[in-house]
Amino acid sequence: MSLRGAAAVVGIGQTPYYKRGTSPEPELKLALRAITAAAEDAGVDVRDIDGFISYASERSDPAKLMPALGTRQVTFASLVWFHGGGLPATLNIAACAILSGQAKIVAIYRSMAERSSQRLRVIVAQNDTSSQYLVNGLDSPAQILALRAQRLMQFHGVPQSAFYATVAASYYHAHNNPRAYGRSIEMNPEVYEHARLISEPYRLFDCSRENDAAACVLVVGAEHAQHLKQKPAYILSAPMGTMEGGGALEENWRPYYATAGQVELAQRLWKESGYGPTDVDVAQIYMNMNSMGIGAMVDHGFFKMEEAGEFLTMDNLIAPNGKLPINTSGGDLGEGFIHGMGLLPEAVRQIRGTSTNQVPGAKLSLVTGGPGDLMSSTALLGAPETL
Amino acid sequence: MEYSFEKHKIIGAIEADDQYWRSLEECHFQLPRCASCKTWTWPAHFRCGQCGSWDFEWVTVEPVGTIFTWTRSQYAFDRVLERKQQVPYVTVVAEIPQAGHVRVMGVLKGDDRDLRIGMPVKGTIDPPAATSKWYPSIRWEVVR
Repeated sequence: MSLRGAAAVVGIGQTPYYKRGTSPEPELKLALRAITAAAEDAGVDVRDIDGFISYASERSDPAKLMPALGTRQVTFASLVWFHGGGLPATLNIAACAILSGQAKIVAIYRSMAERSSQRLRVIVAQNDTSSQYLVNGLDSPAQILALRAQRLMQFHGVPQSAFYATVAASYYHAHNNPRAYGRSIEMNPEVYEHARLISEPYRLFDCSRENDAAACVLVVGAEHAQHLKQKPAYILSAPMGTMEGGGALEENWRPYYATAGQVELAQRLWKESGYGPTDVDVAQIYMNMNSMGIGAMVDHGFFKMEEAGEFLTMDNLIAPNGKLPINTSGGDLGEGFIHGMGLLPEAVRQIRGTSTNQVPGAKLSLVTGGPGDLMSSTALLGAPETL
Repeated sequence: MEYSFEKHKIIGAIEADDQYWRSLEECHFQLPRCASCKTWTWPAHFRCGQCGSWDFEWVTVEPVGTIFTWTRSQYAFDRVLERKQQVPYVTVVAEIPQAGHVRVMGVLKGDDRDLRIGMPVKGTIDPPAATSKWYPSIRWEVVR
């Protein structure tokens, strides 16, 4: 029984991105809008959705959604550990549920609205930050990941220009995407360098946005997918996990520290899918902070640490012709950030050929999970001919 | 002895480091080592993952090491607002070679110019204070 190609994403739904704290609608309503939009996109009756999967500390649980969706029955529901690291793993769980006959139509979703909850303490940190951090003035992921970024720069020698290239590519793509919250920002080296420092070495634009929004993708079995409205994006592999030396070790990760902790995940991804980094047409790289996304690209084998400065240029990272177009919706930096969930629909649009920054003929579409998370995941989606 | 940190207990993560804070409040820098296989375990935990022992000895360690990494916080973040007046401040992750190279965090004391990974640091202990959430804290200072 193989997970490879057993299920596919057949529907996507997204609300607009609102500035954090300004959503006109509460979190639960945003979730309902994203899920109903995904059902409509796929051409399925929303009442037939029988599986619900989210990750991290999602609060719009299926019990609250059911009455408003008219759900006939929930046969499978699950939440993936831990934070944004769980994002691609939701595809894994959905495929497992479908493959084992426990669900037929699975909604994967994430909804966030500041007013409805305490975003940083509860939603992001889950009130689970160790005293070792808090006593020493560290609270936000921006500060904690800045420690990793400092190491990436000072110890491994990744230049600031590499950081900037990811920002420039993200805003270049956002510019063409009417949904992108950061579409009107004209990014250039001066704007980047003169932005305020957050936690060194991070400046403002190295960090993801914080938005209110919801997004959903619908997953069904491979056979079912052939009879629906959209071109299916098959799940070729979506491994989750953490290697020894990672996990809840605070700043004691070893041997990897400055990258994303995704080396073994990527090895499993390539092995299961049968493809390698040079086969990938387009990648949605989770960037809570851009340096962590650089670490994810190193871990996935797109370039070696010492090649980062050379590889990471804006030209290489943009659609349609870059060597590795990344974050083609603008991504977490330029489009908007709801715990990375915007990356999944964009990975699917690239397979369908409907991105506003389309990579011509894209067949293999990567989406990586929260880098540096205690547990993470990564996924490769493929067009029918990649099966 | 009544400990300040116990009255201001922070809930979160593994929570096996009470002895670290107790020692620090008594002005000792102690780190846990497996009583059986002598593996240094940090952050502190309840069971040695290497040999399966449930017993740890807390060993007094000279607080000297090198800068493994660091960041200078330029913003007063939500849960560490007590440090608002100190912004910008530097937090150092110090590697302690004599304790299995474990890495221990502390706020930098003194000269913060030209910080580089690998610089030698020595630690001193600050008593519980509002800025450290009424916990005692280790402060790293660059040995120049």
